[in-house]
Amino acid sequence: MEYTSQEMMAIAAGREIRDGELAIFGVGLPMLAGFFALAHHAPRARAMTEGGVYGSTPIGGLPWGIECNRISANAVSFTGALDALGCLVGSGRWDVGIIGAAQVDRYGNVNTTGIWRAGLDQHYVVPDVRLTGSGGANDIASGAKRVIVMLAHERKRFAARVDYVSSPGFLEGGKARWRYPFAGGGPSAIVTTLGILRPDARTREFVLYGYYPFTDIEAIRGQTGWELKAAPELAPVPEPSAEELDALRRVDVTGMLRKGSR
Amino acid sequence: MESKLLPLPEAVRRHTRDGMLYASGAALPIGSDSIVFGRELVRQRRRDLHLVSHCCSQQLNLLAATGAAQRVECGFSALEGFGFAKGLRRAVESGQMLLEDWSNLSMSLRYLGGALGWPFVPATTNVGSDLQHRSAFAPDEYPARRKIPEVTDPFGGKPVGALPPFKPELAAIHVTLADSQGNAIMLGTEWSRWELSRAAQQVVLVADHIVHTDCMQQFPNLVRIPGLIVDAVVHWPFAAWPQGSPGAYDLDEKHMREMNEALASEAGTHAYVERYVLGYRDIDDYLDLIGAETRERLEHGPTRFLLDPFRRWLLGRDAIAELTQAA
Repeated sequence: MEYTSQEMMAIAAGREIRDGELAIFGVGLPMLAGFFALAHHAPRARAMTEGGVYGSTPIGGLPWGIECNRISANAVSFTGALDALGCLVGSGRWDVGIIGAAQVDRYGNVNTTGIWRAGLDQHYVVPDVRLTGSGGANDIASGAKRVIVMLAHERKRFAARVDYVSSPGFLEGGKARWRYPFAGGGPSAIVTTLGILRPDARTREFVLYGYYPFTDIEAIRGQTGWELKAAPELAPVPEPSAEELDALRRVDVTGMLRKGSR
Repeated sequence: MESKLLPLPEAVRRHTRDGMLYASGAALPIGSDSIVFGRELVRQRRRDLHLVSHCCSQQLNLLAATGAAQRVECGFSALEGFGFAKGLRRAVESGQMLLEDWSNLSMSLRYLGGALGWPFVPATTNVGSDLQHRSAFAPDEYPARRKIPEVTDPFGGKPVGALPPFKPELAAIHVTLADSQGNAIMLGTEWSRWELSRAAQQVVLVADHIVHTDCMQQFPNLVRIPGLIVDAVVHWPFAAWPQGSPGAYDLDEKHMREMNEALASEAGTHAYVERYVLGYRDIDDYLDLIGAETRERLEHGPTRFLLDPFRRWLLGRDAIAELTQAA
């Protein structure tokens, strides 16, 4: 079966969405993974965008944004950010969100704000590379019952500690997250181009839970900036089925995920 | 009742000043925003703006690239599917413009706080992250003390964030339909325009279409911005171009990319401003810049049907001119 590592990542992230759940997906890869899940194994899951665009599916290609005409042509309700990110996500009602990341750390904290090559000390300085900022990801990471983080598995992206916490995971680990009044439970998985990491129930450190057919534990450790432990359940992740690939490619009409090689 | 319709240059002359706290709406990256109002701010050489922009739109990208914005508060600083906002990036990385980071919900909550006249808004979001601890406006404070200070929930006992409300001096809000009194209907996500319209001290609407007031009386539930809180209305077709306006037009992929590429450098920005900011005298010139063929294509996007119930009330250019106050 021919598929790219990006497609494997999208399918693995999509498998995290269960039928009947209330879901919210960020633009780009998270949207592909999410709509794949709806098209394949979660037809009764219901999705909304950060802009309060309810019930719609993409038309004519991957939406350029959460407010795009491509995601607004078959919606049943238009509201806004306060409703979607506040009333539905921030309140703790929403089951699951998928967000992207530029950098993630051992406690699932996400950085999408900037890269500081020399790190960031007590004095704030402008980043060497300015990234996208939080958008709604901080709100989803704070409020959704569980969050799936998606990103390419590269050493520079997997840091012991992110330069800047744009969206909270388990902060310093252990019970640190529960000092705050977050409605949501934090990240349940980091799904990458090489495998799947999940948090240890006690320390909340992310450990390797699954690896794809085309890679192995040592290769994944080599791309991770902390000493990556193996979960007791560590196992190979099943490769995409023909039905899964077919469903994903119907969602990914422009072939965005097929451009990369593995 | 007297019409609130004003020519765009006059609305900018009357309602803006250098150094003001200015919010645009909806300030979405590929959808609704009062982008043509931002072009006029550059034409009139407004400076030192403190910009409140829910997300980065091409308006913020332009005001950053041209140096018109000195400070910006923002929940998302890129152009979604079109990638990083290159004008904003250049202005931030060079230190020319200070960018204070928030999230999309905290921006909305801050508008809501301003709208309700609250002293602060309790928040269970942004806390615990560097959105709370780091401030570009107070770089020496760590953790930042005045950005999102913690208060104790008097009922539950846990710390919650205190978000500072926004009361922009002016909000220029893009809407799909307005009448001459400033009653407005927005198609597509409202994003944060309802709460922004209540938070701002002055509101100028920038409407793709002007309709007869009968339209508003037919759909009063859809009129989320009533004319009572609106100071002026500007009619400008394709006001959000190159971004899209559900029901009215699609985004212009080619110009989204061209504009962003141009704003990546000072020379590119200069060339862009010459052609697409200073290069038109009026609406007809502006529409020519977009091109008839492109407009025709953009007007036939997948959400075109959303405008159908309102078409019988759309006013033509002559009727709008008659209702527009002389400069």
